[in-house]
Amino acid sequence: MTRSLQRIWPIATNTVREAIRHRLLYTLLFFAVTMIGVAVLIASLSYVEGERIIQDIGLASIRLFSVGIAIFVGIGLIHGEVDRRTIYTILAKPVTRAEFLLGKFVGLLLTVWLQLLLMGLAFVGVSLLVGAPLDLGYAAALFLVGIELMVIVAVATLFSSFSTPMLSAFFTLGIYALGHLSRNLYFLGQEADVENVRRAATFLYRVLPDLETFNVSIQAVHGLPIPATEVGWAVLYGLAYTTALLSLAIYIFHRRDLE
Amino acid sequence: MTDSPPEIVRVDDLVKDFRPGLGLRSKRVLHGVSFAVREGEIFGFVGPNGAGKTTTLKVLMGLIRPTSGRASILGCDVGEAGFRQHIGFLPENPYFYPFLTGREILRFYARLCGVESSLLAERVNDLLALVRLEHASDARLSTYSKGMLQRVGIAQALIHDPEVAFLDEPMSGLDPIGRKDIRDIILRLKAAGKTVFMNTHILSDVEMICDRVAIIVNGRIRYEGPIREFLREDELRSDIVLARLPSETSTELGERFSATLQTVGETIEVQVREGQVQGFLEAALGAGAEILSVTPNRVSLEHIFLEAVEEGERADARADRGGEGTS
Ligand SMILES: Nc1ncnc2c1ncn2[C@@H]1O[C@H](COP(=O)(O)OP(=O)(O)OP(=O)(O)O)[C@@H](O)[C@H]1O
Ligand SMILES: [Mg+2]
Repeated sequence: MTRSLQRIWPIATNTVREAIRHRLLYTLLFFAVTMIGVAVLIASLSYVEGERIIQDIGLASIRLFSVGIAIFVGIGLIHGEVDRRTIYTILAKPVTRAEFLLGKFVGLLLTVWLQLLLMGLAFVGVSLLVGAPLDLGYAAALFLVGIELMVIVAVATLFSSFSTPMLSAFFTLGIYALGHLSRNLYFLGQEADVENVRRAATFLYRVLPDLETFNVSIQAVHGLPIPATEVGWAVLYGLAYTTALLSLAIYIFHRRDLE
Repeated sequence: MTDSPPEIVRVDDLVKDFRPGLGLRSKRVLHGVSFAVREGEIFGFVGPNGAGKTTTLKVLMGLIRPTSGRASILGCDVGEAGFRQHIGFLPENPYFYPFLTGREILRFYARLCGVESSLLAERVNDLLALVRLEHASDARLSTYSKGMLQRVGIAQALIHDPEVAFLDEPMSGLDPIGRKDIRDIILRLKAAGKTVFMNTHILSDVEMICDRVAIIVNGRIRYEGPIREFLREDELRSDIVLARLPSETSTELGERFSATLQTVGETIEVQVREGQVQGFLEAALGAGAEILSVTPNRVSLEHIFLEAVEEGERADARADRGGEGTS
């Protein structure tokens, strides 16, 4: 176990290092600065509840940007290993394929979390600048975005374990979109008269991630209470879903020919 | 030969089919490959481009699964991971994280191999020295030349002092000095009692350092054995260069001495077996030819290699016809 960690950890830190040295974080800083500019502009234009609008936009763009980065960077980093054949030398060392994939996953997750942290800081900065209220609700919202990112990175890892980069990105985006709709699809499905449609809707809801679990931005922006049990439940759900995805990814990757 | 050293690598009847894509017919790349590598030898796995050398090595490294057949290293099936602590691997045209420096990448591989942190720095320095990269150790790999990357590849393969080294075309991309350096490293490994398996089609390297070879052509082994015996088969030949040989005599001489006469500009070149040189020269002079030079030559591996390839192709053609007959 500890030996395994000794191999997973260098792969993970190396992945973070690759991302950092790839000018990725600079794009992100650019985004943060832009966000601050736009926010100040909007605040000066609007009369009613300007701060709320800014925070709404802020949280929404953090979610979108971080997911976009998780998907495109994540998929690139895993496929790069196979395409550029760096994986050959790694797997010839006493590293199992499971350890390799877990190392990549952890590295990607740390990278997107690092970015989330930077964006969160930018968010706090803008809020302070325009004098918008900050409370624990925002911390909870950003924390849950982090958990959602964990699930998304696991989805990207799963598709990368067998598919091409293009298809992986496409599928992961699809799962992301469906994941946010799955709850509505479920309720819509239960309204149907046909038994099989109801069954299908239930099945889909069970298989697809319910990403709305991780979305508490509305409560945060409107200062509504976010119960700790809700957050705790979301974390458990995220961990379980991620574990299932990674197990499947490892199973598939283990059987694959690396040509 | 009961006293021959133990087998380090054992490959039995390996078959590999590649499926190019969904629905396309699969292509057989290895047709029952078998050979063994013994402890302490430098084993040359030799064959023309596309023969299946890299594919075999990928099976040995557990990167791809054989369609059928077995391969084991140090007594472990290649599907397991346990023996990897004791082997090093240099892939064909190795590529490494360009954003790391030479030193960083070696530290990375050393950590993957579980080299203790107290020994890490020393081990990395030793290998940088071995492959002569100290001067570039703190530059990013993106600035390295092809030959320098090849040296990084050798260094990472040996970072954990493995018992067996698997090298896919270790000399490729290297200048003559680089090739000599790598040859010296390989010979040093042998002197330290290690076993080396190397893929190559550079025959002079094989002649210089390999103890035993297997020749693979179109996914089939054509020869396996000590390189000395292989070279002894018809050891001495002479290269004869002549001019003004009438073409009908040329054909006749070719048949009589079972040699191939090659026209090079105004001159004709031919290789003749040692005992037949006298007879060939007399016949050529008798036909009015002019002898430009006679150079005694030990038959090159290249010649035998080409013969093995041609023989292999003929055998494949026969097999194909036979296959059609039965189906
Ligand atoms: N992934 C693959 N899919 C389909 N065919 C493949 C694949 N990999 C290799 N081949 C085919 O298998 C054959 C053997 O390839 P291999 O790379 O093993 O040759 P090699 O002996 O290493 O040649 P070289 O000296 O050029 O490196 C080639 O005909 C090649 O086209
Ligand atoms: Mg090859």
